[in-house]
Amino acid sequence: MNILELKEVTKNFDGIKAVDNLSFFLKEGSITSLIGPNGAGKTTVFNLITNYLTPEKGSIYYQGEEITGSLPHRIANMGIGRLFQDVRVFNKLTALENVFVAIKKNCGENPFTSLLFHRRVAKQEEKNMAIGLKWLEFVGLSEKKETLAEDLSYGQQKLLSLARLLANDARLLLLDEPISGIHPEMIERILSLIKRLVQEGRTIFIIEHNIGAVLKVSDWVMLLDGGNLVASGLPSEIKQDQTLREVYLGV
Amino acid sequence: MNYLLHILIMINIYLVLAFSLNLLIGYTGLLSICHAAFYGIGAYISTLLMINLGMNFFLALLLSILGAMLISLLVSLPSLRLKGDYFILCTIGFQLIVFTILYNWISLTRGPYGISGIPTPSLFGFEFSTIPRYFLLTLIMGIISFIIIRRILISPFGRLLKAIREDELATQSLGKDIFKVKILSFLIAAGIAAISGSLFAHYVTYIDPTSFTLEESIFIATIIIVGGMGNLKGPFVGTVLLFIIPELLRFLGIPDAVAANLRQMIYALLLIAFMYFRPQGIAGEYKFK
Repeated sequence: MNILELKEVTKNFDGIKAVDNLSFFLKEGSITSLIGPNGAGKTTVFNLITNYLTPEKGSIYYQGEEITGSLPHRIANMGIGRLFQDVRVFNKLTALENVFVAIKKNCGENPFTSLLFHRRVAKQEEKNMAIGLKWLEFVGLSEKKETLAEDLSYGQQKLLSLARLLANDARLLLLDEPISGIHPEMIERILSLIKRLVQEGRTIFIIEHNIGAVLKVSDWVMLLDGGNLVASGLPSEIKQDQTLREVYLGV
Repeated sequence: MNYLLHILIMINIYLVLAFSLNLLIGYTGLLSICHAAFYGIGAYISTLLMINLGMNFFLALLLSILGAMLISLLVSLPSLRLKGDYFILCTIGFQLIVFTILYNWISLTRGPYGISGIPTPSLFGFEFSTIPRYFLLTLIMGIISFIIIRRILISPFGRLLKAIREDELATQSLGKDIFKVKILSFLIAAGIAAISGSLFAHYVTYIDPTSFTLEESIFIATIIIVGGMGNLKGPFVGTVLLFIIPELLRFLGIPDAVAANLRQMIYALLLIAFMYFRPQGIAGEYKFK
């Protein structure tokens, strides 16, 4: 089944076509990579899916339902989670608190409930604690739970924002450069986590410059250039594809 | 003794103001410059209800809180759609509008003449008419406000406010309706500021619009910026410090006419110095980026 589908989506910036009549779909439970040179429009595609940018033309469907133009937090609540290129953890909150914020339907987030129904909120917080610890453990940050996010290493911050997405119960994870700028051991760790998530039935959509690494884990690869797909296929096909070399090396 | 109690009463009133503004500035990251407007709205609503309808103080207080919360929607709905500097300008605009209304709606507020003879509060026949008794009232109201604010801030709601302060986009990407959360934060801050206003009006028994000016809003923001943002210590440190400074000037024997101006200058210098050298304030955990 297709979890996400873009149909003829177009977005202009001051007359320049950032995304041009783009159509594709993602299979549920797969890992798909979106690769391409700088300025190809990769992050714009993510911004269109989460509606930080609204497309001028075309439509976007999530689990068969049209989401074009929906409010960003509604789209997030439907199950589309996003890991930002610049991680965007909550610096002054601890690792555990970062994950708590992500938990859905948290009754204590209503100030009047927090004020008047102390016990109900306390009970909810106990549940939150279990969820928070579970996902911190999943990404291997249990020991850092009381550490402020700003004191974590860059790689750990990436793991933390992944834990946040999982606590948010995202079914489709949009990962914007999840393994860029971190050391090789951490790359292996994140890639193996991604594989485990797919086994659990989640769908992963990755933007990445480290092509060698993502080709290893991807089920499907799409090559974006000038706001449109210039090639797509299995990783083994894309590796052989002449277009990849042309786009990246200009030969 | 009464002199000391007078200072403490004013400190109590301003602590409530500072704690409520810290909810916006320190926790939600919203530099709101219209807190004196809600302070004034609280003062006027409870005064008018007591004088015109002979209402009991505590009922009038409750209605002034609700009134300020309702009016806060008028500013928060449009201003919270804006970001950064534009938000600040919008709150300043609201502050100026409120002042102008208080100043010119003479049939209701008596405008620049002010309202005198404001009745003192009483509860079951117990009049808070002397300074020690009024101190007791402000102390109790201060403690109640503090408990309410503390409970809100350490709750998941408080955590969410901090998350919005740290990164709006990331909070939104986790499915949170940040617009709604900010409006709630504004609503609560306005309601609590009204408590201060009401306590002030029934203490000094005379109010006019000049107590609720833009300068006053900047002063309250200065308390937070100097004291420190984003925790419960900051507003306390800021309020006590900014109230002790003018009293020290008095002890130095500086004539009142000079001291008043000197005080303004010291506040302004403190604000600039802290923004420049220690943006997180004396006891704060957060600074503006």
